Amino acid sequence: MEKLNILVLEDDKLAQKVMTTQLAGHEADVAGDLKTALKKLEAGRYDIGFFDLMLGPGDDYSGLKAIAAAAARGIYCVVVSSSDSDEIIDRAYELGAADFYAKGNEESNVAEILRKYVQRRRAERAGDIFESAFITGDPETRAAAAEALKYAPTALPLLILGPSGTGKTSLARVLHEHSGRDGAFVSINCSAYTDDLLEAELFGYRKGAFTGAADARKGRLLEAHRGTLFLDEIGTMSLNMQMKLLKAIEERTFYPLGSERPEHSDFRIISATLEDPQDLIARGRMRFDLFQRIHGYTITLKPLAQRKGDVFLLAKHFTKDGKRLSFTTEARRRMEEYAWPGNVRELKKFVDLLSSGPGGRIGEAEVKRHLKEGEVMTGRAGGGIYEYALAHGLEAALEKVSGDIIERNLRENGGVRTKTLADLKISTRLLYATLKKRDEAAAGEKE
Amino acid sequence: MNTDVSKLLHDLKSKCASLKSAAELYKDCSPAERKEMLALMTAAAGEINRTVEALNKAA
Repeated sequence: MEKLNILVLEDDKLAQKVMTTQLAGHEADVAGDLKTALKKLEAGRYDIGFFDLMLGPGDDYSGLKAIAAAAARGIYCVVVSSSDSDEIIDRAYELGAADFYAKGNEESNVAEILRKYVQRRRAERAGDIFESAFITGDPETRAAAAEALKYAPTALPLLILGPSGTGKTSLARVLHEHSGRDGAFVSINCSAYTDDLLEAELFGYRKGAFTGAADARKGRLLEAHRGTLFLDEIGTMSLNMQMKLLKAIEERTFYPLGSERPEHSDFRIISATLEDPQDLIARGRMRFDLFQRIHGYTITLKPLAQRKGDVFLLAKHFTKDGKRLSFTTEARRRMEEYAWPGNVRELKKFVDLLSSGPGGRIGEAEVKRHLKEGEVMTGRAGGGIYEYALAHGLEAALEKVSGDIIERNLRENGGVRTKTLADLKISTRLLYATLKKRDEAAAGEKE
Repeated sequence: MNTDVSKLLHDLKSKCASLKSAAELYKDCSPAERKEMLALMTAAAGEINRTVEALNKAA
């Protein structure tokens, strides 16, 4: 950990010794009274200040004055005090304290405070995240991601919502990189496995646990020890698997398949889903207790269609190490009008396709050739609907148009139904009838 | 509860908390640090005793 300059305001000699021992490896300066603390604050440059509030018997919380002085200098102020009245806690925060801890747990608290501080500072300095690891120029998305980054160094589970291809995995990786956790970032797409395979992937197995288990294999939970377990598409997990995962999250121990010996793993959970978790719960597809365990802080990513400025920013980023592209005004307009149903993932494929082509100057015709006509947002109907109507009848065709619009809007709203109801000004009856048909059709496809 | 008693209780909690933290750290200290820590812990224990006596008088 980088060396920090720290001021400790503490009148009690034993408490001073405890703090300086805990802060070994950093430049810790101790002040035993307010006057000394104020002098040191004026003369020195500190990153963090640890403040006791009542400095000696009969003192009237004079430590509060040091907080105000330190906060004014941009110092991260942490109160470590035995004062626990709401009035004093409120006052300390009002004066600029960033954290307030009860005295007596320094062994665990101080290390945690320093770790969080370093990570937070790194996150604040990492403005270029949005130009390298998680590309966006959209102010709303930047603000949401920056807010999520504040929780990166904590153990809080994070839930990322948003349509497919919006960068949920990239964001999860960035959050892991800013977590300060020294373990690996382990990602698993829950939708890519059957129940049995998912269980084997997550928990691992012993040799001979099932037919084909020729060797023992470490599960993802164990691989994520002291790191992050990213569960993508968690909404697709069966209720049975959810129950098993919940137990592992709660106890941080689990049994690999075929093993009677429990394994322990200190993993942090980041999950993602393109569906509305509340809706999944309402439909009995997600356990409420699992949801409670995975949604400490939730961030919703907007579809690319709602952050148009990112289209060219991302296109530029995708070509930064290779062939650069140039778009005509018409091509740009068409790209801006396009709905990008596959979001960033689709844009990446599109740019890769153009980059592999013969020329670098891209015109409207080329863009049109690669992007689906029906997805242009200007409202032109898809070319195939007339043929569909001829084949299935007008009523079925209208139903399809209505269903496609509802589905697209739901996707663009990250599955939040209330937004779709408001956007499209439709009745709940129509929305639910459409969703029911979609579920039935999906079930039919699986069968 | 009057202000004096409140302050005495605060003082008592604070000193006990420091003693607890010191006890937790003790095992990881070097011999020289242990000596210093023990001296400070003894002094703190004495202050705790005096504070309890003061509390007793104030009660």
